[in-house]
Amino acid sequence: MHPAFSVLVFTVMSGAGYGLITLMILGHLFGLPQLQDSTVLLTGGGLAFALISGGLLSSTLHLANPKNAWRSFSRFKTSWLSREAVFAVLFYPFLLGYLANIWANGTEVTGIAQLAGFGAAALAMVTLFCTSMIYASLKTIRQWNSSLTPVNYIALGLMSGSLLLAAVQSAVTGDLSSTLHTIAMGLVVLGAVVKVIYLFWIGKPAGSTINTATGFTQASVRLLDQGHTSNGFLNNEFGYTVEANKLVRLRVLMVAIAFVLPFLLLLTSSAGLLVLAAILTIIGLLVERWLFFAEARHVVRLFHGDQRV
Amino acid sequence: MTSQANVIPVQSGLPEFEDRDNQETKYTTCYMCACRCGIKVTVEDNKVRFIQGNPNHPINKGVLCAKGNSGIMKQYSPAKLSSPLLRKPGTERGAGEFEEISWDQALDMLEKRLSHIRATDPKKLAYFTGRDQMQALTGMWASQFGTINWAAHGGFCSVNMAAGGLYTMGHAFWEFGDPDWDNTKYFMMWGVAEDHSSNPIKLGLKKLKERGAKFVAVNPVRTGYQAIADEWVAIRPGTDAVLALSMVHVLLKNKLVDEEFLIRYTNSPQLVVNTPGQKGDGLFYRGESGEIQVWDLVKEEYVDANLPDINPALFGEFTMPDGTPVRTAMTIMIDKYMDEQYAPENAAKECGVSAEDIERMALEMAHVAFKETITIDVEWTDWAGRKQDKFIGRPVSMHAMRGISAHSNGFQTCRAIHLLQVLLGTIDCPGGHLAKPPFPKHVPPGIKPAKEMAPNTPLKSPPLGFPTCPEDLAIDADGNPLRIDKAYSWDAPVSCHGLMHMVISNAVKGDPYEIDTLMLFMANMAWNSSMNTAQTMDMLCEKKEDGEYKIPFIVCSDAFNSEMVAYSDLVLPDTTYLERYDTISMLDRPISEPHAACDSVRIPVVQPDRNVMSWQEVMVEMAGRLGFPAFSKPEGGRKYEGYKDFIVNFEKEPGIGFLAGYRGKDGDKSLRGEPNPRQWEAYEENEGFFEMHLEPNQRYMRHANKDYLELAKEAAWVGSTNQIVIELYSEKIQTFRLAGQGLYDGPMPTEEHHKERLVKYFDPLPTYYMPLEEQRIDREEYPFHAVNQRPMFMYHSWDSQNAWLRQIMSQNYLFMNRVAAEKMGIDDLSWVWVESHNGKIRVQIKHMEGTNEQTVWTWNAIAKRGGAWGLSDDANEATDAFLMNHLISELLPQKGDNEDRVTNSDPITGQAAWYDLRVKITPAAPGETGAWPSFSALKSQPNAKPSPDMLSYTSHENVNLNRPMSDILTRGEK
Amino acid sequence: MKLGLVVDLDTCVGCHGCATACKQWNTSGTIGPLSDENPYGKDPNGAWLNRIRTYEVDDTPNSKTVNMPMSCMHCDNAACVTVCPTGASYKREEDGIVLVDQDKCMGCNLCSWACPYGARELDPQEGTMKKCTLCVDRIYDEKLPEDERKPACVMTCPTKSRVFGDFDDPNSEVSQLVRDRAGKQLMPELGYEPVNTYLPPRNKPVVEMYETTSLKDTVKGWVNKVIAR
Ligand SMILES: Nc1nc2c(c(=O)[nH]1)N[C@H]1C(S)=C(S)[C@@H](COP(=O)(O)OP(=O)(O)OC[C@H]3O[C@@H](n4cnc5c(=O)[nH]c(N)nc54)[C@H](O)[C@@H]3O)O[C@H]1N2
Ligand SMILES: Nc1nc2c(c(=O)[nH]1)N[C@H]1C(S)=C(S)[C@@H](COP(=O)(O)OP(=O)(O)OC[C@H]3O[C@@H](n4cnc5c(=O)[nH]c(N)nc54)[C@H](O)[C@@H]3O)O[C@H]1N2
Ligand code: SF4
Ligand code: SF4
Ligand code: SF4
Ligand code: SF4
Ligand code: SF4
Ligand SMILES: [Mo]
Repeated sequence: MHPAFSVLVFTVMSGAGYGLITLMILGHLFGLPQLQDSTVLLTGGGLAFALISGGLLSSTLHLANPKNAWRSFSRFKTSWLSREAVFAVLFYPFLLGYLANIWANGTEVTGIAQLAGFGAAALAMVTLFCTSMIYASLKTIRQWNSSLTPVNYIALGLMSGSLLLAAVQSAVTGDLSSTLHTIAMGLVVLGAVVKVIYLFWIGKPAGSTINTATGFTQASVRLLDQGHTSNGFLNNEFGYTVEANKLVRLRVLMVAIAFVLPFLLLLTSSAGLLVLAAILTIIGLLVERWLFFAEARHVVRLFHGDQRV
Repeated sequence: MTSQANVIPVQSGLPEFEDRDNQETKYTTCYMCACRCGIKVTVEDNKVRFIQGNPNHPINKGVLCAKGNSGIMKQYSPAKLSSPLLRKPGTERGAGEFEEISWDQALDMLEKRLSHIRATDPKKLAYFTGRDQMQALTGMWASQFGTINWAAHGGFCSVNMAAGGLYTMGHAFWEFGDPDWDNTKYFMMWGVAEDHSSNPIKLGLKKLKERGAKFVAVNPVRTGYQAIADEWVAIRPGTDAVLALSMVHVLLKNKLVDEEFLIRYTNSPQLVVNTPGQKGDGLFYRGESGEIQVWDLVKEEYVDANLPDINPALFGEFTMPDGTPVRTAMTIMIDKYMDEQYAPENAAKECGVSAEDIERMALEMAHVAFKETITIDVEWTDWAGRKQDKFIGRPVSMHAMRGISAHSNGFQTCRAIHLLQVLLGTIDCPGGHLAKPPFPKHVPPGIKPAKEMAPNTPLKSPPLGFPTCPEDLAIDADGNPLRIDKAYSWDAPVSCHGLMHMVISNAVKGDPYEIDTLMLFMANMAWNSSMNTAQTMDMLCEKKEDGEYKIPFIVCSDAFNSEMVAYSDLVLPDTTYLERYDTISMLDRPISEPHAACDSVRIPVVQPDRNVMSWQEVMVEMAGRLGFPAFSKPEGGRKYEGYKDFIVNFEKEPGIGFLAGYRGKDGDKSLRGEPNPRQWEAYEENEGFFEMHLEPNQRYMRHANKDYLELAKEAAWVGSTNQIVIELYSEKIQTFRLAGQGLYDGPMPTEEHHKERLVKYFDPLPTYYMPLEEQRIDREEYPFHAVNQRPMFMYHSWDSQNAWLRQIMSQNYLFMNRVAAEKMGIDDLSWVWVESHNGKIRVQIKHMEGTNEQTVWTWNAIAKRGGAWGLSDDANEATDAFLMNHLISELLPQKGDNEDRVTNSDPITGQAAWYDLRVKITPAAPGETGAWPSFSALKSQPNAKPSPDMLSYTSHENVNLNRPMSDILTRGEK
Repeated sequence: MKLGLVVDLDTCVGCHGCATACKQWNTSGTIGPLSDENPYGKDPNGAWLNRIRTYEVDDTPNSKTVNMPMSCMHCDNAACVTVCPTGASYKREEDGIVLVDQDKCMGCNLCSWACPYGARELDPQEGTMKKCTLCVDRIYDEKLPEDERKPACVMTCPTKSRVFGDFDDPNSEVSQLVRDRAGKQLMPELGYEPVNTYLPPRNKPVVEMYETTSLKDTVKGWVNKVIAR
């Protein structure tokens, strides 16, 4: 699949934002001591707001006809994209209510704080889940059409969110929270495990072949002519091909930047390096998301000559 | 064929999608190619809404091809020329610097030039027409002008097929005949990718397949038609005669020939003089009556061969009363073809088709012809007036085209295929190969090429005709060619369509002489219809010492900014096919079907928005201005107001005009009748065509069918009602061989190589010889054959200007058999150098399975020069696509002998030998990509609108079908 | 009703006639325009609703060339519809035609991702999704003559390799063809239940060889028969 930059930015940023806000709210509401600080909460909330909104805005950039974007709420009944849109919007009043309450009333866990906070956290996760289901529901792309996809999206969202949370907390307070630090380390390990499982899983040959695509299942099939000499929409959208070597190198790079380096930085337990770790993870996840697209092979490729997807 | 009567019951609730009040529907004839399908065009506000096939039309019966369906984009092309252009004084030819002039200026200039030539030395005008279908008019114009230097594209196209058929049976594969799609049970297609009969072939193949008939395709490449063949015979190019004659060998060895057919309808029982080395050898023995003789088995005497009710011996050697040894033509054939040389085991080595397959196919055809015979119970009368109770059909049929004709042995190969058909008795019989009116004609048609010219005097006969002996050649007393293209000279004596591909090269060399003006209509000779394209462009710009161009003046009629435009001095912009009146005439190459005589017209469906004039009008206007006798009143002054008037009122002979339909004062006469002043209106009312079905008793065996021949004579298709005797043995060809042997009472060549060629190639019986290029190069050094195919969705160079069609293909590849390529280490999609004896090109390779291992091929005419055709300088056609033409030389490979100056063409007919090409292939160095050679981009015409970056064509505002919001909000999964 | 096409792979010669017929009808049709980017420049690329691909099946020397035209299959389980967030994509209840309401599409491409058959292409100018309409603006148009109330591609196909009809009606031509010729769906494993069905190439007809007896070696083997001319 062609990795559209706006979509990479969208999923990584909003994923991190949703992860951040969820962890932060839950930590706050469940009384994690280091999070009973309005400045931390407002900073974290503000950052999450920025990431999520920036991501959503970025996602509209890939719409070819954005004047109809508002219509995307209409098909909640069947469309994960529509559901994502609905939940993403629903999320805002809860988030804003929660943040307004902190601003106005401080960190006390009131009924309003709980209603708005739990609501925002739940909607954040639901939205992230919907985003992931946009991909996971596509039978046309074997690499996505799996429960590993939502697990990946949620785990990585939480992971990047946890790093951001720890970074915000330590940056604002100048003091490192060991709990947040431990959670972040745990989520980085979890994220890495989930990602590695995913990478192994997509490596296994399975799925449709040029034979099932063309209906000639008894013999080899080769494409002679795709019917047009320049690339068309389908080539551009689905025909994205990266050299195998490059993919391997990028995978290594991705694992290093998104997981290994942040983990090593976390090991140093230095507050200053936490920010760096969070930034690295975000960059790493951009590579991860790029690979998520670049390694996804749509079945239409079979019609353009790929032997299998 | 099953019907498609699945009409969906109409449901209300849909909006009115079309603005019907604003729409108009008109019928005309497609000219996206020369198939000439009938079209129904819906127009609104002078914009084309939709072009569809006319279901009632005899040719296409409602269907259209990819090109026909893209007519809108031709009409919309940014390359359309918009006014007459004159090369800017002081600029060079080829630079493409023009100034716009008025039609008055243009026509005055042309008139002045032409009237001077006509009054002094008419042959100084060479007039050549490419893909046009109005040769009756242009040929007549040239005769009236008085120049013999006229020809159309046939010489580089398929004269081998036309001549091969017309010198054998009076009709031919090339547009003059069709397989009997409704009845044939075994169909063999030789070397056809698309052909002129584009839609009819496709409709026909479907019919065959529905009936379960067998379809065998002989072709080194398997795409298109061959893809749906039941059997693909991957022959090595240039060797089809070997395959055909080997099948003949199998038939003869098994005595599987239609003896009745041979005796009744062919010249095979006729007695041939057998005196090798002496004058008269190989000619028919003529008795005292002057008639060819046969031996009558019952009367036991020699009788006139053409008498009815005789019983000729098919075999035998005899000594005539005067002591002349003779034998039947059939006897010669058996001797020739039963030779081991033609045995399948030996043939297989040459043509690459296995001996078992050769034998099997021959015996399968024999089975279908003789054991699956069909009859049509219709009483008919034969040429001698004898009633026959039925038509007997041997349902084997064939079609062949440029895979055969574009080789220098194509004439003989084409005859070999006809021989196979004739032995099986499948000519113009049910299930066989049918003629299309006005064919068949007598063998060959009785027109002789003109050779005498005088100032201000029309020629006595048309420039092109059918020579039957050396006396008919267009040579002077010293044996030098009279025509600029050297047609009808010893280089190519039977070149019935001229050698248009030699014109530029000969004129620039002044060999045989210099000309003044070259006038081209619808021919892109600066690009794809030239051999040796790069050098041709140079030749067009070559100057004499005095600074004058070697071809002083070039006039071109084109509708688009083609590559040729830049090399012209005066450009006359034509209308598009949707903007003009035109006729597809019985005097030319009409649209007839086997069982119906048909012709058709073009009627404008949109108004031109530019300063253009149809070439038809220009021709009639010029003829009037120059005072051609046929265009002038006896008392002086112009006879015709314009093209429409000319078409209605011109009579070639009483009652015969360009259009055969709706003749007579009241429009109720067909084929012959006095002019009908409302003829155009009648065609318009009848959807643009005329179709006259033949009576059931006139539909078959027309070479010997009295009722048909009488009709044909009445319609002026034939000169007499005599039987058309099929000439398996060609005495006409033998006369040339005798001239080569020095045994002829008449013109004979003086140069050694001419003699050799006549002796070697002018076999009166179909024969195989190695294509000339292959004979003259090192076959090891150039191991691959290189051929082209027509893409079904592109017409020559026309369609890269078509925004839709060029998306299908804007780059061509060189296709190579995968196994062969892998053996050489040539990767898929890699760039390679391809080299012939004449030059080299760089191209991109594509592997495929369906190609003969010794063959490489590409799609024809995809490459274009940047800037031409409204294309950008970096269009794929200009940067990555290639022309094979650069590799092909218009002369034979140079060996330092006398043949060095001889055309790279069939030595008999002068047919351009495009597919004789042999090449070697070497990988390009890393980083060497893109097509080579590449040429500087051409300029767009003055005041041309820039080609848009985005195109959103609609003829009206689109009417969207809205989904109600309630449905959007409430529908579930389904 | 379940409307769709049968495509005969035994007779399709890959001429692209149906593809350009589709383009010209629909560019001024209900789904149009179908825009083209760089129409006269490098890498021209436009929106088409019907594309023709060519495959080679099996290896040299047994291989076969197959031309495969593909347009929307009007799937029974059309995931392209379920994923569409705006409701622009829908499947008509009355006849199963899958359409895109051009006024509602936001050009998110998701439906094209959900389509396994490459049947949807984004219009480069309009930014909306284009796809085969089964010529809904022809087949119900009462003002067209009856025998023209069929898709443009079907009308034009020179080898009659495309047949239009109702797959719900067991007696329709399409249903019969699917039965008689063992029609196939492409990529059935994905479960989209495409309506359009492909007829595989037929078996070769068998022609007997003429049974031969003795072979003649020279002209001497031939005996003249009395046959009147
Ligand atoms: N779409 C379209 N239609 C056209 C044209 C066009 O440009 N485009 N041009 C028109 C014109 S002018 C012409 S002349 C006709 C030509 O129509 P075709 O006769 O179909 O000519 P080509 O496309 O040259 O195809 C020649 C075929 O012969 C095969 N071949 C080459 N060498 C040999 C050989 O030695 N033996 C055998 N058996 N086969 C061989 C090639 O592989 C190819 O399939 O088409 C006309 N129709
Ligand atoms: N390598 C290679 N070369 C070949 C062949 C091959 O097989 N291989 N085939 C050869 C054959 S068979 C042929 S027939 C030739 C064809 O070659 P040409 O006769 O040169 O045909 P086109 O390339 O179609 O060029 C015709 C010209 O007519 C112009 N034209 C189009 N429509 C109109 C119109 O309505 N009015 C006027 N006045 N002009 C118009 C076009 O713009 C173009 O410039 O090519 C030959 N060249
Ligand atoms: S075959 Fe195609 S291009 Fe040629 S006349 Fe017919 S519809 Fe037009
Ligand atoms: S029009 Fe018919 S033959 Fe041509 S590509 Fe389409 S389906 Fe095949
Ligand atoms: S072919 Fe594709 S676009 Fe058409 S209905 Fe099926 S999934 Fe949807
Ligand atoms: S591109 Fe248009 S039709 Fe397709 S899913 Fe998006 S909004 Fe729906
Ligand atoms: S049914 Fe209509 S829209 Fe669909 S492919 Fe055919 S012509 Fe195009
Ligand atoms: Mo031609």
